[in-house]
Amino acid sequence: MQRSIVVVGAGPAGLAAATEAATRGAHVTLLDEAARPGGQIYRQAHSALGDSEYAEAGERARKHDILARFQSVASRVDYRPDANVYALFGNGELHVAYGAGSEVLRPDAIVLATGVREMAIPFPGWTTPGVMFAGGAQAVLKSQRVLPGKRAVIAGCGPLPIVVAAQLLRAGGDVAALASLRPLREMLGNPRALWQGRQIVYEGLRYLRTIRRAGVAQLSAHVPIRAIGTERLEAVVLARVDAGGHVVPGAEREIACDLLAVNYGFAANSELAAMAGAELRFDADRGGWLPASDEFGRTSISGLFVAGDVAAVRGALVAEAEGQIVGAAAAVPPKSIGDATMTAALRTALGRRQRHQAFQTAVRTTLRVPRGLWNLTTDDTVVCRCENVKLRDIRSALDAGHSSLNAVKRNVRSGMGWCGGRTCLRAVAALSELHAGIAPPVIMTPRPMVRPITFGAVVAQKKAVDA
Amino acid sequence: MSGFQFFFEGKTIAAREGQSVAAALIAAGERCLRVDEAGLPKGAVCGIGVCWECRCSIDGSADIRACMTLARPGMNVRRQQGLDPCSDQ
Repeated sequence: MQRSIVVVGAGPAGLAAATEAATRGAHVTLLDEAARPGGQIYRQAHSALGDSEYAEAGERARKHDILARFQSVASRVDYRPDANVYALFGNGELHVAYGAGSEVLRPDAIVLATGVREMAIPFPGWTTPGVMFAGGAQAVLKSQRVLPGKRAVIAGCGPLPIVVAAQLLRAGGDVAALASLRPLREMLGNPRALWQGRQIVYEGLRYLRTIRRAGVAQLSAHVPIRAIGTERLEAVVLARVDAGGHVVPGAEREIACDLLAVNYGFAANSELAAMAGAELRFDADRGGWLPASDEFGRTSISGLFVAGDVAAVRGALVAEAEGQIVGAAAAVPPKSIGDATMTAALRTALGRRQRHQAFQTAVRTTLRVPRGLWNLTTDDTVVCRCENVKLRDIRSALDAGHSSLNAVKRNVRSGMGWCGGRTCLRAVAALSELHAGIAPPVIMTPRPMVRPITFGAVVAQKKAVDA
Repeated sequence: MSGFQFFFEGKTIAAREGQSVAAALIAAGERCLRVDEAGLPKGAVCGIGVCWECRCSIDGSADIRACMTLARPGMNVRRQQGLDPCSDQ
């Protein structure tokens, strides 16, 4: 009997999982919220906009290869773009909306490859139009062929701000400054890791060369502490921070710009796994609340797998290898996972994941946000943008003894708006820890709908299908 | 329809086939896409449909994410003001 598998997410992990499971004869349904496969990293522009790219050749080749492998089995995969998975229950029922309709799927196995979103550290003025996440600014550039600003300040930690700065320059943009939380040498200080990650390191050095040649001011141990402007961004104030993330007084500088692209790492899209009741662990450097999983992506719930960054932020190369491994495991009956699935190709994928993961482990501190940096969020700063909840409001709830994220939400509405807490939840958690010593917090209970859908789409639901 | 126009607050905005409403507005120099319930101007933030900050009224339908919606010739895009959905079109 052919096994039915639903893969959620068509980034590198989801594409690799769907490709592997289909190759092994499973009936695969691939659900993705975007119009075209690729996920965030391999995001494809609309065909009418052409395929000029600002990414490094290595990344473009990886994108081409994974999409081509998926195309080779695409006739055997039920690929559904513009699909919005809004609920997953412990009984294996997955609820998905497509525009004006919806459907319930109940496959033999589910692979969540839902990736990550960007994590915000709220600071004064960050709601000003023109302040974007760095990945958001990059998405405008790479899938829309539009410069997200005329004169940009790029800031944050990890590799993404470097990549975005270089790509903006290559697209003809003006980058006024690149502010990095940590000195670059920290990323390049481990020879063994450099060798394991040589592919990525090489691309990183090429991006840095673009930035250096353009004469961009590079400020290390600097972060944006204030955005200036009302209707639109006019300038950003950068300040020096110490190793603990505390602002060093007297070292501020104001830079005129119309775009601030900032990234402080990522938050795993783990809500569906949490809603289903999967056991979670918390790792602040690797995406926050993560579904606990083993080497084959098995979670604590039978038939529910995770692959890629949603299982722990480790980048696209790990995600692709892991997608293949998890796709193979999901394609066979639970008792057969292990030796029965172990083809030569899969052994190679396991080795590849191990190698890329070793590099990611060595550089994981580059995504670590020092505790003191959360002091950028002042009492008057909006934390929850949807509901305009300020730190002051959250602190008053904490002071009144509301010590869980659920209780804070019930009292001041943080996380109750359109985004469902996906933008502010990590900030509310970190600020609760900083100001009330609550650590590590339990995730805010995810409930349907994890993302907004119309009531009409629920009413127009098809009956449960044994896919 | 490789190049075409749509309307934002009555202004003519140039767009290319395949571009999102948000991208065309950003290219035209528009940054404030909505004024929220507290009166704060809001623009595109996540660019990928997560944050819902760029939601606009499009052809009379409120709360449509500009970053996830393909621009179409002649579209009428309005800047929502607080809880007013601008559904007067």
